[in-house]
Order: sequence, then structure tokens, then C-alpha cells
Amino acid sequence: MSAETEHKHAGPGRYVAVWIALLLFTALTVALGRSHLAGSWGLPVALAIAVVKSTLVVLFFMHLWDHGGANRLVLATALVFVALLIGLVLLDSATRFPLADPPTEATMRLMPPGPGAPPGVEPAAARP
Amino acid sequence: MSPSPASIPPAPADAGAPLYLERNYLNARRGLWSWLTTLDHKRIGVMYLVLTSAALFLGGIFAMLLRIELLTPGPTIMSALAYNRTFTLHGVVMIFLFMIPAIPGIFGNFFLPLMIGARDVAFPRLNLLSVYLYLTGAAIALYGMIHGGADTGWTFYTPYSTTTVTMVWPILLGAFVLGMGSIVTGLNFIVTVHTLRAPGIGFMRMPLFVWALYATSIIQVLATPVLGITLLLVAVENVFGFGIFDPARGGDPVLFQHMFWFYSHPAVYIMILPAMGAITEVLSAFARKNTFGYRAVAFSSLGIAFVGFFTWGHHLFTSGQSTVDAGIFGVLSMFVGIFTAIKIFNWTATLYRGSIAIRTPFIYVIAFLFFLLFGGMTGIALATVALDVHWQDTYFVVAHFHFIMVGGTVAGFLAALTYWWPKMFGKSYSERWGIVGATLIFLGFNFTFIPQFLLGNEGMPRRYYSYPVRFWPLNVASTAGASVLALGFLVVLATLLLSLKYGKPAGPNPWGSRGYEWKTLSPPPEGNFLTQPTYPRMPHDYDDLNPGRGGH
Ligand SMILES: [Cu+2]
Repeated sequence: MSAETEHKHAGPGRYVAVWIALLLFTALTVALGRSHLAGSWGLPVALAIAVVKSTLVVLFFMHLWDHGGANRLVLATALVFVALLIGLVLLDSATRFPLADPPTEATMRLMPPGPGAPPGVEPAAARP
Repeated sequence: MSPSPASIPPAPADAGAPLYLERNYLNARRGLWSWLTTLDHKRIGVMYLVLTSAALFLGGIFAMLLRIELLTPGPTIMSALAYNRTFTLHGVVMIFLFMIPAIPGIFGNFFLPLMIGARDVAFPRLNLLSVYLYLTGAAIALYGMIHGGADTGWTFYTPYSTTTVTMVWPILLGAFVLGMGSIVTGLNFIVTVHTLRAPGIGFMRMPLFVWALYATSIIQVLATPVLGITLLLVAVENVFGFGIFDPARGGDPVLFQHMFWFYSHPAVYIMILPAMGAITEVLSAFARKNTFGYRAVAFSSLGIAFVGFFTWGHHLFTSGQSTVDAGIFGVLSMFVGIFTAIKIFNWTATLYRGSIAIRTPFIYVIAFLFFLLFGGMTGIALATVALDVHWQDTYFVVAHFHFIMVGGTVAGFLAALTYWWPKMFGKSYSERWGIVGATLIFLGFNFTFIPQFLLGNEGMPRRYYSYPVRFWPLNVASTAGASVLALGFLVVLATLLLSLKYGKPAGPNPWGSRGYEWKTLSPPPEGNFLTQPTYPRMPHDYDDLNPGRGGH
């Protein structure tokens, strides 16, 4: 695997350029955080910058720009699982309270008949 | 050892082979230093055997302490806090120090290269590093155990783990380091399978144990980092005060459970998939038949590995997770049953009309099938949200996961150990005592955990050191069963250790197996093969013994 892929790595110039870009993005994140310019968009903007930075790292420092095939498949698989984790956790918090805590009448209708049952519900013992 | 009923004539390579190779991997180099710095995958496997067996012994002692405490309804031998610490240590030791590393570490390291005709794994130095990561993680966790232990349960749920007064930190850090060792092993196996297969062993000719290890390795590499991230986030929250899991600071404690189980549910398959692979090998060898449905068994391993990532929420049904998520996770969890059923049906079909030899490893196979079916079906029941609400945190759950993890993983481990022992050490153990040990373990296991199903169904909660008097008889039965189980383990240990000194030479292939790993001498030489074997047949090919009914 190594012999045919290693010679493709670019010289130090590219890595220095990527490193400077990463530093600039970090400075941008800090500046935006300090100035509150982005307002309520602060979090999405910070996340977007982080995604760009990690893309740069993955493509150049981790050589995915030069390597294809199986390595890209591995990254894609990992991203699917990251999306899975974040997706189902967000779905949980997005749907949690309204459904886990239904209105009182709905709860009462689900209660078994017996002492404390709302009026109109027959006690269980009355059934044949 | 007498030849089995359907005796197989030795392969041409075996004819004239020595019964015991005098200069082998065990004695080619001598001294402690040669072991501590070895790059030989076989020696690393033996080191894992010693280390994980010690962990099994330690975890077993904790288990017996728990069962003795539960012998009477009130306090018996320990305080409530001591009980909490003991069950935490039992879980941590058994899961992180035994079940996750054992089968890949021992049999994966020893047999993966032998099964694909390689001289070693792809990265021998990384392999040695994984042993030292294991030792470091174990040492850190042991330090925490000696200095007070933790009382959070092995799941380290927040806010228990962030508010407890016990020494949970070294144990968290130990789990983190052990996870790195697990990732290194997985990475090594994936690259080995891709790059070091001998000519003649294509992907569709790999032994099924290799397929199972391959699927396991993918889980290890993809899931274990999430455990590391989760443990790091707990540390970040505590050190820097960010609100991640603490609601007072804007965090969410259920998020910890999501992230923890995103690793820990697939971790169940890190434990059980290698056991399934070993069972496939043993079952085929002792039924003298081709594995029914090679492709189905191979791909169902990958299927379990994949689907195992979609089910973690079934641990959160009563933790405040939304009903929408709970419903989705309940349905997705049942998909695991499909792939497991594919395996069970294929194993049963392999046994059908085979020439079955009832030897020690085969008894563990039968035990495994029983435990897996029982544990699996109760798992399907638990994945049903409404039923789980009744059973959550009762002994029903405890019995269920012990059936899967002890019944499945330990039976697979013992089947593999008794099957491959003659190859690893070149000696035969006493068949009579091997069968006695296996029978004691099977009976003891059932007497331990079937009462716990009944206790859980009656509502006895887990993780309490005392209980109402009406639960007394079944708890006595469970403790009695655990004693038989412990005796069985001691019999197995003594049988195997005595064979090293008194056992007869086993010969290159005492079971007449067609597995590729038997194509070398016993014990194997340092470089695995004196002459490179050839692979004209499939790895589980007994067609010539079954004229007219093999070759599915
Ligand atoms: Cu699970």
C-alpha cells in the first residue's frame, strides 16, 4: 500500500498554507465570539467554520486529497455514524417533552379503572 | 486421545510430522525479556491469555462476594456502599479487562495469521503496544480499585459519576486507555486481513473466525473513540465547568447515556461476534460437515456489526428519552435478531446429519447455542418498550445480559480455548475432566441465572444489597448455582494447567479439523510454518467425508 501512494505527497508549501488558513479561521472564530457580531447566528457560524477547518485537516494533513478508494470509503462510513449519533440524539431532544408529558386528560384516560379513576370509568370489579 | 468416530486420514503434510515440535515459538527464545519485548503474535496471544484469565479470576471473586452477600435478605458480609463498589468492580473487570479483549486478544492474535497463512500480523510493534496499553489501563483501574473503588456501576452514569465521593477517576482513565488498546488491535486485524492473506485465500475463502474478527475490528475502530470522547467530556465538564451533562449548567444527563451506549451497545458485539466465529469453527470440526451457508454466516457477522450501531437507545427507554426515539430504537433493536437467527439456523443446519463427536469443545458449542437462543429471545422481549418498562433495572435484565455475555462470550471463549489448546501448547488435556468441567459450567450457569429471570419478573430490582424475604429462596438457588459455576471454572483451570506438565503430545491435528490453522505443527514454530502450506480446499470442507450431502 505504501510504495505506490507515498510518493504523491506534496512538499511542505501546501502544509504551511493549510496551517496558516487554520490559524486564520481560529482567529476569525475568536474575533466573532468576542464581538457578538453574528448575534443569534453565532453558533451556526462557529460550527460552519469548524467544519471547514476539519475538512482542511482531513483533506490535506490526513492526505485524503491524494488518496482515493478505500480511505475515502472509510471516512464516508465514519461520517454516516457521526450523523447517526447526532441525528437520533437531536431527534430525542426535539420530540422529548410534548410526547413524554401528555396533557392531563390523556393521562387520565390511560389510567386503569379503580379508586381515583375519573368519573364515568367503570371499576374493574363490576365487569363480569 | 483416540481418533474421533469419523476418523480423517492425515493430510499429506502431516504424514511423518513430529507429534511435538521440540523447537517451537515457546522455547525458541528464552527469558522474561524475550517475552516482554516479543513481536511474535503467538506469544502476544499467550500473554493476553494469562492477563485476561487473571482478570476473569478477579471478576469471578467479585461475583462470588456479591452472591454471598445476597444469600440472606439483610446485610450478610458487607455494607451497602461496599456492595455498590463490588458490583461496579465486577462489571468493570469483567467487561473492560476480560470480555472485550479476551477472544480477539488471545485467539485473534494467535490464530488470525495462522488462518490466513501469514507469518505475523501487519503491525507487530502496534500489537505489542496493545498489550502494554492493556497493562497500563488495568494498572490505573486497579489503583482506583485499591484506593476506594467506585460505586457508580460500570456504566458511570452522570450525575453519579460526577458527584460520587468514591475514586471513579482512575477507573474512567483506565477504561480510556484500555479503549486505545482495543482500537489498536482492531486496526491491526483489518490491515492484516486486507494485506497479508496467502496466495489461494481470497476473501470468500477466509475461515469464518476471520470474518467474525474482521467485523469485530470494524466495530472496535468505529465505536471505541466515542467512549473516549464521552469520558473526555465528563473530564472537561468537571475541570473547565462547561455544561455538557449537568442540567444546572445547561447540559443534559441523558446525553451521557446516549453517547455511552453508542459505544457500549456495539461493545456487546465486540464480545459476542468473536465468540460466534469461534463457535462456527468448532461446530464445523465436530460435526464433520461443511459450514452450511458460508456466505450467510460471513455476511451476517457484518450485518450484526452494522445493525448493532442503530440500537443503543434501548438502554434509555425509562431514562426520559422521547417516545418517538424509544419506538424507533425498539424496532431497530429487533433487526439484530434477524442476523443472529441467520447464524443459529445455519449452525443447526450444519449439525443436521453430521457425524457428531461429543468432545469437550463441542459441549461448549451446545451450551453456547442454548444460552444464545435464551439470551437472545429475552433480548427481543426487552426491546419491546412496554415490556421493558416493567423489567427495566430488575434482575430480568441482569439475567438476560449474563445469558448473552457470560453464556455467549464465556462459552465461546471456553470452546475456543479447549479446541485450540492442543495447537497452542502441543499437549492434550484430560478429556474426562474437560467434560466434567464443561458440564459443571453448563449446569451451574443455568442454576445461577434462571432464578434471576424469575426474580426480575417478580420485581426484584438490581443493585440493592438487601431484599424482601419473599425473594429469599430463589436467591439461595442462584448463589448455589454460582458456586457450582465457580467450581466448574476451577476444574477447567486445573485440567488445562495439569495438561501442560502431564499431557500427552497432541500431534499437529488431534481433532482431524480441516481448518487452515491446523496446517502447521503443534506448537507452531517461531515463523508459523516450516514450509508454506497450500490451500486447495475451502476452510471448512468435509465434502469427501459426506458423499452426496455436503457442499451447500
Ligand atoms: Cu444494548
